Amino acid sequence: MSQRPALFVTIVLAAAVVVAALPLVLPPFYVRVGQLMIYSAGLAVAWTILGGFAGYASFGHAAFIGVGAFAAGLVEDRLSGLPVTLMLPVGLLVGGLACAILSAAVAYPILRLRGTFFAIAMLGVCHVCAELNNNLDVLQGSLGLNFPSIAPAGWDPATFFYELYLVAGVIVFLIAWQIQRSRFGAGLLSIREDEDTARMLGVPTERYKRQAFVISAVLTGLLGVIYAHSLGYITTDSVYRDDTNLNLIVYSLLGGLGTLFGPVIGAFMLVFITQVVLARLLDFHLFATGLLLVVLVLAAPGGVLGFVKSWRQRRRAAATVPAE
Amino acid sequence: MNLIAQTVADGLVLGGIYALAAVGFSLIFGVLHVINLSHGIIVLMGAYLALIFSETLRIDPLLTMPLVMVILFGVGYLYQRFLIQYAVDSSAFGSILLTFGVALMLHNIMIWVFSPDMKNITPTYAFTSMRLGPIVLDAVRVSCLVASLILLSCLAALLKFSPLGRVIRATAQQTLAARLCGVNVRHVYALTFAVSAAFAGAAGIVIGIILPFSPADEATWTLNAFVVVVLGGVGSPAGALIGGLLLGVVSTLTAQYIGPSFPNVTMFLLLVLLLLVRPQGLLGNAFAPSR
Repeated sequence: MSQRPALFVTIVLAAAVVVAALPLVLPPFYVRVGQLMIYSAGLAVAWTILGGFAGYASFGHAAFIGVGAFAAGLVEDRLSGLPVTLMLPVGLLVGGLACAILSAAVAYPILRLRGTFFAIAMLGVCHVCAELNNNLDVLQGSLGLNFPSIAPAGWDPATFFYELYLVAGVIVFLIAWQIQRSRFGAGLLSIREDEDTARMLGVPTERYKRQAFVISAVLTGLLGVIYAHSLGYITTDSVYRDDTNLNLIVYSLLGGLGTLFGPVIGAFMLVFITQVVLARLLDFHLFATGLLLVVLVLAAPGGVLGFVKSWRQRRRAAATVPAE
Repeated sequence: MNLIAQTVADGLVLGGIYALAAVGFSLIFGVLHVINLSHGIIVLMGAYLALIFSETLRIDPLLTMPLVMVILFGVGYLYQRFLIQYAVDSSAFGSILLTFGVALMLHNIMIWVFSPDMKNITPTYAFTSMRLGPIVLDAVRVSCLVASLILLSCLAALLKFSPLGRVIRATAQQTLAARLCGVNVRHVYALTFAVSAAFAGAAGIVIGIILPFSPADEATWTLNAFVVVVLGGVGSPAGALIGGLLLGVVSTLTAQYIGPSFPNVTMFLLLVLLLLVRPQGLLGNAFAPSR
C-alpha cells in the first residue's frame, strides 16, 4: 500500500463514499452511533500521530478539544452578525489557530519529559486549561456557550454532522497516512524506537517531536470545533473530559498501537460495544468496560492488529514445519 | 498572621494524610515500575471495610486498622500474583490498562454494594478540638495525622531494617542482580504489592474518618498519589511525606488566598514545573528511571 499511493487513496475514498451513503438506509439511532464512531476514530488517528508514531502517549488531548471548541465559540459569539454558512470555517480557523499556539507554547517544556511523565504532565495541562476555562469569567466555561445551528435547511442535523465528521475523519486519516510514509514519519518512528540513538544519528528529534505535537493538537482541535457545533451548547465539563483522555489511549491499544488502522478499528469497536451492546445495561457499564480492558491486556496485548499478526505468523510457522 | 498559621497547619494535617495515601503507590512505582491506577480504589476499600467493621464490632474505627490491613495485604498479594504479573510480562502499557480496568470493575461493584452515596465514618470524639496557641485543631484530624506519621515511620523502618525490606530494595535497584542472588522476584513483587495495598487500606480508614467518601472518589485519590509521588520522588516513604506535605500546604493556601476552585491549577503547575527542573522529584532515588 505504500508502493501504490494512488490506489490506496482511491480505496480510502471509495470506502468513504460507501460510508457516506449509509445514513440513507440506517435508522436514526445508528446514524448517531455512526457519528460518534467516526468522531472517535478521527480523534484516535490525530492522537496516534504523536502517541503512536512517535511513542509520546498523551493523556491530556481533551485539552485541545476544549481549547479549540471554546476559542471557536467565543469568536463566533462576537461575530454573530456573520452569515451562518461562514460560521464553521471561521470557527475552524480560530480553533485550529488557538490549538496551534497553545501546543507550540507547551511543546517546548513538556516534550522534554518521556513516557509516563509526559502522559501525566499532559493530563496536568488538560486540567489546568479546564480549570482556567471554568473559573475565568471571560471564557464562560461554567456559564456555557451556545453555537449557531449550522446545518443547512432541509438537512437532518444528525446526518449533516455525520457527513461532516466523515469528511474531517478522512482528511485526518490521509494526513496521518502521508506523515507515516514520509521521511518525517520515519523520523518519528526512530524516536519511538530509540530516541537517543536517533538523535545521535542526526535525526532532528526535537523539531520532529514538536511538529508532530502541533499537528496532532491542531487536528484534535478542529474535530473539537465540529463536536462543539454538533452539541450546540457546551460547558467546560462537556469538552474537557477525562474519559476522552483515557479513551484515546484505549482506542489505539485496542486496535494496535503505532499502526494507522489500529486506532480506527479500536474506536469503532469500543464505541459500538459501549453504545450499542451495553446501551441497555447502564448499571453494568463500568464493570463491562473494565472487564473488557482486563481481558484485552491479558489475551491480546498487541491489540486486534497485533493479535491478527501473531495468529498469521503462527499459521505460517505451522504451514512451513511439515515441508522441511 | 493567625490565618496563615491556621491555613498552614490545616495544610500540614491534610498533607500527612495525602502522604500516607500515596506511599503505597510510590512503593509499587519504585519497585515494580507499575503505575497502579487501581490504587485509589484500594484506598476506598480500606474506608468501606473500616465502616463495616466499626459498625458491626462497635469499636473505634482506628482500631479496625490491623484487621483491614491484614485483609488488604492478602488481597494485594493475590492481585499482583495472579493478575498484574501477567500484564507486566506482556507489554509496557499493559499494567496501566489492566489496573485501570480493575479499578472500573471495582468501582462498579462498590456502587452495587454500597450505593453511590457519600458515606462517612464518625468516631465518638468527632466534635472535640484542641488549641495550640492561636491554632485550633480537631481531635479527629490530629489523631489521624499521628496515625499517618506512625504508619509512615513503620514502613520506613520496615524497608530500612527488616530482611524483607532489604530484599525489596535490592529488587528495586537491580532486578537481575537480585534474581542472581537467589531472590524470588515474583514473590517479592507480590509482597511489595501486598504491603502497598495494606498501607493504602490504612490510609483509607484515616481518609474515611476525616472526609466523606463515595466510590467516585477513587480517581481523585489515584491522581493525588501520582502528584505526591512525582513531587516527592519515587520509591521512598520520606519522599512521599515531603510530597504529601507540600501538596497539602499548597492546596490549602491556594484555596484560602487565590480561590477555592484553583487548587488543581496550582498543583499541576507546580508539578509540571518540578518535572522540568528536577524530574526525579525532591528526594528522588537515583535508581528509579524517572524520565
